Amino acid sequence: MTPAEIALLAAWCAALSLFALAGGLLLSGIDRKLAAHMQARIGPPIRQPFIDTVKLLQKDTVVPANAIPWLFNAAPVVALVSSVLVLFYIPVGSTMPVLGAYGDLVLVMYLLTVPALALVAGGFASGSPYATVGAQREMVTMIAYEFPLAIVVIGVAWRLGAAGISHPFALQSIAANPVWSVTGPLGLAGVFILLVVLAAITPAELSRIPFDTQEAETELAGGLLVEYSGRNLAMFSLAQAAKTLVLAAIIVAVFFPWTLSSFLAMPPVVALAADLLFFLLKAVLVLFFAVTLVRVAMARFRINELVSFYWVYLSVIGLAGLLLLMADVIAGPLAGVGI
Amino acid sequence: MSGESKKAPYRVPIGPNHPALKEPVMFTFELEGEVVRDVDFAPGQAHRGIEWMGMRRNPVQIVHLTDRICGICGVVHSLSFSLAVEQIAGIEVPERADYIRTIVHEFERIQSHLLWAGVAAHELGFDSLLHLTWRVREEAMDVIENLTGNRVNYGIVQVGGVRRDIVPEQHAIIEKCLATYEGLLDTLLSFFLDDRTIRMRCRDVGVLSRKDALELCTVGPTARASGVNVDLRQDYPYAAYGDLDVKAVLPDRYLGETHGDVYDRIVVRLLEVGQSCQIIRQCLSEMPAGPITAEEKLVKLLATCKKATGEGIGRVEAPRGECLHYVRMEGKDSPASWKVKASSYSNLMSWIPMLRGSQIADIPIIVASIDPCLSCTDRVAIVRDSRRSILSKDDLHRLSVEKTRRLQG
Amino acid sequence: MRALPLVPELVRQLFRRPATNRFPAKYLPPSIRAFLRDVQAGRAAVNPPVPTPPRFRGKIAYDRDSCIGCTLCVKVCPAHAIEFIPDIKKIRVWVDQCIFCSQCTSICPKSCLSMTDAFLLAGEDRYAEDLIVE
Repeated sequence: MTPAEIALLAAWCAALSLFALAGGLLLSGIDRKLAAHMQARIGPPIRQPFIDTVKLLQKDTVVPANAIPWLFNAAPVVALVSSVLVLFYIPVGSTMPVLGAYGDLVLVMYLLTVPALALVAGGFASGSPYATVGAQREMVTMIAYEFPLAIVVIGVAWRLGAAGISHPFALQSIAANPVWSVTGPLGLAGVFILLVVLAAITPAELSRIPFDTQEAETELAGGLLVEYSGRNLAMFSLAQAAKTLVLAAIIVAVFFPWTLSSFLAMPPVVALAADLLFFLLKAVLVLFFAVTLVRVAMARFRINELVSFYWVYLSVIGLAGLLLLMADVIAGPLAGVGI
Repeated sequence: MSGESKKAPYRVPIGPNHPALKEPVMFTFELEGEVVRDVDFAPGQAHRGIEWMGMRRNPVQIVHLTDRICGICGVVHSLSFSLAVEQIAGIEVPERADYIRTIVHEFERIQSHLLWAGVAAHELGFDSLLHLTWRVREEAMDVIENLTGNRVNYGIVQVGGVRRDIVPEQHAIIEKCLATYEGLLDTLLSFFLDDRTIRMRCRDVGVLSRKDALELCTVGPTARASGVNVDLRQDYPYAAYGDLDVKAVLPDRYLGETHGDVYDRIVVRLLEVGQSCQIIRQCLSEMPAGPITAEEKLVKLLATCKKATGEGIGRVEAPRGECLHYVRMEGKDSPASWKVKASSYSNLMSWIPMLRGSQIADIPIIVASIDPCLSCTDRVAIVRDSRRSILSKDDLHRLSVEKTRRLQG
Repeated sequence: MRALPLVPELVRQLFRRPATNRFPAKYLPPSIRAFLRDVQAGRAAVNPPVPTPPRFRGKIAYDRDSCIGCTLCVKVCPAHAIEFIPDIKKIRVWVDQCIFCSQCTSICPKSCLSMTDAFLLAGEDRYAEDLIVE
């Protein structure tokens, strides 16, 4: 790479990082507003997450006496950096992933565990019993949802591969070839099931009710984050916001990759903006059904209920979706002959 | 983490201030993983010396002090205190006053149970249900405000009767509120009882067997949910309850079985909201005409109270269970002794069998399930040399005997 | 929706007007003091609070001229909020201590004490001029 290319790449990364933070905070604000309205409240203004972040950044950062300081302070940085980093591998609007050439959906899956691991490390380093219980729960939760998540990723990529698309794990090819377009009727049902599974994993990834056992305000008083304050807490909440955007972006990229500019002809600059807005709209819709509606409509799960939900129910549902996709591949040529 | 430290039980303090607790109490849990092995608790974090204040005031003043023992039960304590004083001074309360007391008392039960239901939902992380129940609770609060002049601290009860009459225009307001609740009750029952996540979190959680409930002398909905048929309104009627047909609400009458768990406590409290509506309706239609107080002139009332000697006990079925006031008057302005036993006092010990063997996740809902009111309960806080000391059963027994001797003179 | 009976209600609620009373403003102003100054200057408007019920017990009002100094109110005040000034045989009410039970207004033989509808009494100075009635 020439220096100019590296500079361009760096600029793109910087812009994308800013977008990850701002977009994430915006999405959290919208989530809070919609949840409030469903509960017949006015709720905070949409800009509230921005106000909170600015306020937190001005506050003192307290490190508890029992904490392991370097780990305690490093955890929020790692969480923030890794959350933002994931977005470099995911297409946003009509822009292809910046680092798309260097990683695929499997890498994204691995990167997604890093903020969670940082939270666990920070929780254990806090030296508080609440944070320790929270950290243990976070680990269990992570192990619980990894398997259904893997089913979804493999299911989609395998179906694309079976349809003859090269590099099926690369997000560019997933976004360029919507998985719905390559499947028959059986496969459509299978893909829909995988979408539901991925949506059901989202609240756990974002530690939202009903799967927020690791923070569980009324049980653990914030759990993992109980000892965090000031700048460290701000970094965790920014990481959380970025992760919100990232998860919405993954669902959008894998299941709803269509862009406005591919339907309507428009000048490149307008197309970029329009696609970005369209992306945000899709993200809001995805998050409404996957997170907001779910978190206002349910009580919190116990940790053992959470594990059996993911390992038993969701895994079985996910495997059923996978089987449907397989049946679709086998039935596909036959149906083609029939027509 | 080494293997052995995982196995060994570790201590987690919860309280005195914690989001799971709406009022201060100090829990120490011994946990093994997520399971509670043992638990101990220490109340006495919110002692306010109300009895001490009362013994320096006359009964007319104390009635308003009793309003403030509890933030939710605005009528229970003042009613119970008035009953005790009326007993001592031989004051005959007019019938109409008894009916008005009953109506306000039942409205209080409605709002208290709905408040509890909202808190329970919040403890489960179900905030939408909290907002919904508290929104419908406003109907009862509005009526209480209309009848008494205030949302909390009603100040409607006075020794010898009540301070405000219910005028015919208010009947329509009450009727409208009752109709709303009777229409809402099935919806509310469905929101709480048919919800899979609530059933999952509450069924067979925090079980209190009938035997334990009896042995620990639990009262109110906590006892009734374990199948103990106790309700002062049916067992020892006061105010207008003697004329009314009140039967204790037991979970097996609705579900056909009694588990004694958190779910049953939700059932009992929600059904009692419906029962209260029926009681109020009956009171309204049967309310006799007449004066609303035995002694309109407060100066005369003060003089009557001053002359009174003897001791009296007022017992009232509060939303949380039996509330008891003991008063002893010795011909002075202020009582010689005043003892308040709030309903939560009898229920607190049931936490221990409920919490043992439960999960951390269940702690908030189990603690909330008896509807603890610790500020009402805390009657004592012993601090010596700015350190707390713990009194054993023997110490307490000795102190009680000493106090009884002192009272006997 | 049998397993989650609340969902239809939540979705309906999304399209209804929230139940919250917007007092004093829809959102918390960045500075309450600045907001109140703006209101006084007529630059901002306060959303009205919920109206008080009939016979509400708010801040106490005292008709000094008809008071005969009998001190009955002092005797029944549970909060010791009423101070008797022997020199002029009048009373002084410390509103910061008042518990709004209205017992003094019931006992007053000359009806010179009454309860008003005023309830926005929060302040930082317990001895502020508007919190002493005499």
